[in-house]
Amino acid sequence: MTLLGKLTWQAFPLDEPLPLFSGVAVFLILIGIILWIWRNGHIPYLWREWITSVDHKRIGIMYFMLGSVMLLRGFIDAIMLRTQQAMAFDAPGFLPPSHFDQVFSAHGTIMIFFVAMPFMIGLMNLIVPLQLGVRDVAFPTLNSVSFWLTAAGALLVNLSLVVGQFDRTGWLPYPPLSELRYSPGVGVDYYCWAIQISGVGTLMTGINFVTTILKLRAPGMHYTRMPMFCWTALASNLLIVAAFPVLTATLAMLLLDRYVGFHFFTDTAGGNSMLFMNLIWAWGHPEVYILVLPAFGIFSEVVSTFSCKPLFGYRSMIYATMAICIIAFMVWLHHFFTMGAGATVNSIFGIASMIIAIPTGVKIFNWLFTMYGGTVRLCTPMLWAIGFMVSFTIGGMTGVLLAVPPADFQLHNSLFLVAHFHNVIIAGVVFGAFAGYTYWFPKAFGFVLDERLGKWAFWLWLIGLWVAWGPGYIVGLEGMTRRLQSYDVAEWHPWLLVMAGGVGIILLGILAQIAQIIVSVRTRDQRRDLTGDPWDGRNLEWATSSPPPSFNFAALPNVTDLEPYWDIKTRAREIGELARPEPQYEPIPMPRNSPTGFVTAFFATITGFSLIWHIWWLVILGLVGAYATFVGFAWRDHDEVLIPAEEVARLDRANRAARATRLQEQMAERESQRESGR
Amino acid sequence: MSAPTSALRTGRDPYHLGHGPSTGAPEYTGHGAGGPAPKRIVVGYGFWIFILSDVVLFSCFFAAYTVLIHARNGGPGPEIFDLRNTAEETACLLLSSFCCGLASLAVGRRSLLWTEVALAVTGLFGLMFIMLEVHEFTGLVARGDGPTHSAFLTAFFTLVGCHGVHVTAGLLWLGTMMAQFPAKGFKESIRHRYLCFSLFWHALDIIWIGIFTVVYLIGRTTP
Amino acid sequence: MSTNPEEFEFGSHIGEERVAGAPPHGPPSLRAELRGYIIGLVLAAVLTAASFWSLDEHVIYAPGIVMALIVLGLAQVGVHLVFFLHLTTAPDNTNNALALAFGVLIVSLIFFGSIWVMYHMNANMIPTKTLMQMRGG
Repeated sequence: MTLLGKLTWQAFPLDEPLPLFSGVAVFLILIGIILWIWRNGHIPYLWREWITSVDHKRIGIMYFMLGSVMLLRGFIDAIMLRTQQAMAFDAPGFLPPSHFDQVFSAHGTIMIFFVAMPFMIGLMNLIVPLQLGVRDVAFPTLNSVSFWLTAAGALLVNLSLVVGQFDRTGWLPYPPLSELRYSPGVGVDYYCWAIQISGVGTLMTGINFVTTILKLRAPGMHYTRMPMFCWTALASNLLIVAAFPVLTATLAMLLLDRYVGFHFFTDTAGGNSMLFMNLIWAWGHPEVYILVLPAFGIFSEVVSTFSCKPLFGYRSMIYATMAICIIAFMVWLHHFFTMGAGATVNSIFGIASMIIAIPTGVKIFNWLFTMYGGTVRLCTPMLWAIGFMVSFTIGGMTGVLLAVPPADFQLHNSLFLVAHFHNVIIAGVVFGAFAGYTYWFPKAFGFVLDERLGKWAFWLWLIGLWVAWGPGYIVGLEGMTRRLQSYDVAEWHPWLLVMAGGVGIILLGILAQIAQIIVSVRTRDQRRDLTGDPWDGRNLEWATSSPPPSFNFAALPNVTDLEPYWDIKTRAREIGELARPEPQYEPIPMPRNSPTGFVTAFFATITGFSLIWHIWWLVILGLVGAYATFVGFAWRDHDEVLIPAEEVARLDRANRAARATRLQEQMAERESQRESGR
Repeated sequence: MSAPTSALRTGRDPYHLGHGPSTGAPEYTGHGAGGPAPKRIVVGYGFWIFILSDVVLFSCFFAAYTVLIHARNGGPGPEIFDLRNTAEETACLLLSSFCCGLASLAVGRRSLLWTEVALAVTGLFGLMFIMLEVHEFTGLVARGDGPTHSAFLTAFFTLVGCHGVHVTAGLLWLGTMMAQFPAKGFKESIRHRYLCFSLFWHALDIIWIGIFTVVYLIGRTTP
Repeated sequence: MSTNPEEFEFGSHIGEERVAGAPPHGPPSLRAELRGYIIGLVLAAVLTAASFWSLDEHVIYAPGIVMALIVLGLAQVGVHLVFFLHLTTAPDNTNNALALAFGVLIVSLIFFGSIWVMYHMNANMIPTKTLMQMRGG
C-alpha cells in the first residue's frame, strides 16, 4: 500500500464505537445537507453568490458560520470533558485516556483557531470596510483565499475524527512528547498541517486588514476619526502580521524534526525542547490579544451606541490599544515561569505582565464612564457588554495573580489557570463575538434578532460560565492539575459535578441562540430593518442600507468628524430633511468573483492530507495544482465588473426614501411630544 | 479611483498625525485622509507588510541558530564553513539585486527588451547563487555533517535552506513575470506585480546580509 | 491634478508617492536613478568586503570583531533600504517607515528575547550527570 503512504484500513476507528458512530453520523448529515442543496438546485447559487464571492460582507458571514459550526463541535468536546471528570472520581469514566487526550487537545485547538479566530475575523470582515466608508478590503480575492484556507484547516482537524486520530499532546504540541519518538502516530501531523494551512490564511488576513485600514478610508477620515473597532482591528491585525510567522516557523521546526529527523527540539543530538516553549509562546501570548482586542472594539461600539453617547476617552482608548499591541510581545515568558529561567528573567516578565493590565483597566473605566450619565438601553448587545465587563474584570484579576511568579509556581497548570483563561476568553472573546453578532446581525441580513430569546441566551451563558468555571478556581487552589482523566481526591468531586452542571446551563444558552435564529428567520417580515439603522447607531456602517449593496456606498461619504453618521443624522433632524443631497450616480467598478480561494484551499487540503499520510506523489500534485491556480489567476484580464449607474441609483434611492420616511416619523413624534408636554 | 475633495485641503497638519483637517500639499499621501489611496500604493504597502512578516519568520530561525550554536553533539562547529563560497554567494545575490533594480528602471520606461534582458541576468545570478548553495550543502552532507547530525547543523541547514527556498520561489516568480511581460504588455496589474517582485528580491538580499554576518562571519568567531 | 499615479512609477518604491524629493511633475531622469543604484551597489560591495576582511584577526582588535561585523551588517541593510528599496523619511513615507520600525522592534524582541531567555534556561538546567545521579541514588 505504498501508493497511499501510511494510510490503511487501520486508520479508520472500526473497533472504537464512539468515534466511529459520531464520525459516520457527521458524515451522513453532511452528505444529507449536500444532497438536499443539490436536489433543490441551490448549488449554482451557492457557487456564484457565496463560494466564489470576494465581497467582504459575504466572506465575513461565511467566517462567522464556520466559527458557529466549529463552536458546536468544540462544545461537544467540552461536554465530554466535563462529563468525564464528573464521572471519573475513583472510576475510569467513559473516555479511555488515549481518547480523553484527543478530546482536550481538539477542544483547545478548535476553540482558539476555528471558533474564536473566525468569529473575530468574520466580524472585522463584515464591518471594518463599512465603518471606514469604503467599498471593499484592499485585496478582495486574497480575502477569499484566506477564508477558504481557514476552512481547509478546520476540515483537516475534523477529518482526524474519522481518518486516523488527532493530536494527544494538548492544544500546543510540547516536545519532546510531540516528537516522533513519543508520538509516532498522525495526530501531531494533523495538528501541525491544519494549523500551518489556516495560519497562512490568517497571516494574509492580517496583511489585508492592515493595508485596508491604513490605506483605504473615506475622504477626511484621519486616524483620529476612525471608529474604535477599526483601531482595535488595526492593532489586532498588526499582531497577526508580527506573531503568526513565529507560529509558522516554530511548527515548521517541529515538522522538520518529525519528518526528516532534524534536532531542534529532540532530547538527543543537542536539541532543546525549551526553545519550543519559548518560541511558541512568543506567538501564543500575542494571540490572546489578537482575539481580545477586536472584542474590546466591539464593546466600545456597543457601549457607546446603547448609552446614546460618544465613547468616553477616545484618545486614551487609542493609546491603550496601541500600548497593548506592543506590550503583548514582551510578556510571553509568564506562560512558563516554572521552567526555571531564574529570578531576574521571571521578575522582569512578571512585571511586564502586570503592566499590561493597566491599559486594559483604562478601557474598563472608559466604558464605565461612557455609560455614566448616558441613556442606557439594555438591548441584548448591551447585556453582553455589561456581562463582559463584570466577568472579564474578575478573570483579569486572577490573571494578575498568575503574573506573580511565586504564586504562579503554586498555580501553574492547575485548574485555577484553566478557570482563568476560560473566564477571560469566554467573557472577553465569546461574549464579544455574541455582542457583535446581535448588534450587526441586522446589518448583515436586514432584520433584527429576537430580543426575548437573546436575553435568555445571555443569562444562561453568563450563569453557565460562572457555574462551570467558578468552581475551577476552587479545585485549582485545592491542587487539582489540568487534563486529569481520573482522580481519587474526594474534595474535588462535588465541585466537578457543579462544573458539569454549568456546561449544561451553557448548552441551554446555545439552544436558546439556535431557537433565536429559527424564530427570527420565521418572523423576519415583522422585524425588517428598512432604514439600515435599527439601533440609532453612530458610525458609517449604519449610513447604508441593511443588507448593504455590494458596493456599500453609492458615493463615498465625506468624513468631517468622529462619529460621522451621528453628525449626518443630527443635521437631518435640525433641517428636517436628509442632510446629504442625492449624489450624482456613477457606474461603480467592483472586483469580479473568483474561484481562486476555493480552488487553492482544495489543493491545500489535498497537500495537507497527503503530507499527513506520507502520500508523496499527491503532495507534488497538490503543490503543482496550487501554483497553477495562482498563475491562472495572475493571467486573467478582466478582474472587475461595472455596476451600472441605474442600478446604483435604484438601490440608493430606495434606501433614501426609507430614511426620509423614518425621519418624517421622528419629526412628527417629536412634535407630538412637544404638544403633549405643553 | 474617486477624486479627493479639495474642500479638505485646508488647515495644517505637517506631520500627518491626523489633527484637524488634511494638509494641502500631497493629495495621496496614503494616509487616507484624502480618500482611498490608489491601487499601486495599496499593493506596494500590502507587500511591504508581507515582507516584514517574512522577516519575522526568519528572525525565529536566526534565534534558533544562535541558541543552538553550541549544541554540536560531538560534531563540528562553524569552522566547517567555506567562507570563499559564502563570498561568492554574496556577490551573486548582490549583483542579482542590482540587476533587478535595473529591470525596474526598464519597466518604468516600458522597454520590453531591456526588461527581459535585465530580468534574465537577475535570474542567472539567482540561479548561480542557488547552485553555490546546493554545492555547499551537498559537500557538507557528503562529509557526514548533514542536518541530522546535531542541533547546530539542523539550525544552520534550516536557516540557510529557508532562504534558499525563498530564492527558488522567487526564481519561479521571476520566470512567470518574464512570460507575462511579453504576453500581457506593461499593464497596470503586471507592473504592480513586478513592483512586488522587486521588493521581494531586494528583501531576500537583506536577509542574506543577516545570514552571512550572523551565520558565517560571527559564527566563525564563535569557539 | 498632479497626482496621476502613472507619473510616479519608477524604480521599486515601496508604494508611496514620491512627493518630497522628486520633482512633482514628470519622471526623474534615467541617469539620476541609475546613479542611485550604482552608488548602492558600490557601497554594498565595499561594506561586504569590509565584513569579510574584518574577520582577519590582524585587522581589528579581536574582541571587537563581532561588534564590527554587526555594525557593518546594519550599515549594509541601511544602504539596501535607501538605495534599492528607496525608503526615505519624507512624510509620504511615514507609513512605510513606521511599519519597518514595528518590524524591527518585533524582530529584536524575538531574537534578543529568545537568546536572553534561553541563556538563563540553559544556565539553570540541572546537568545531565547530576540528574542521572539523582535518579540512580
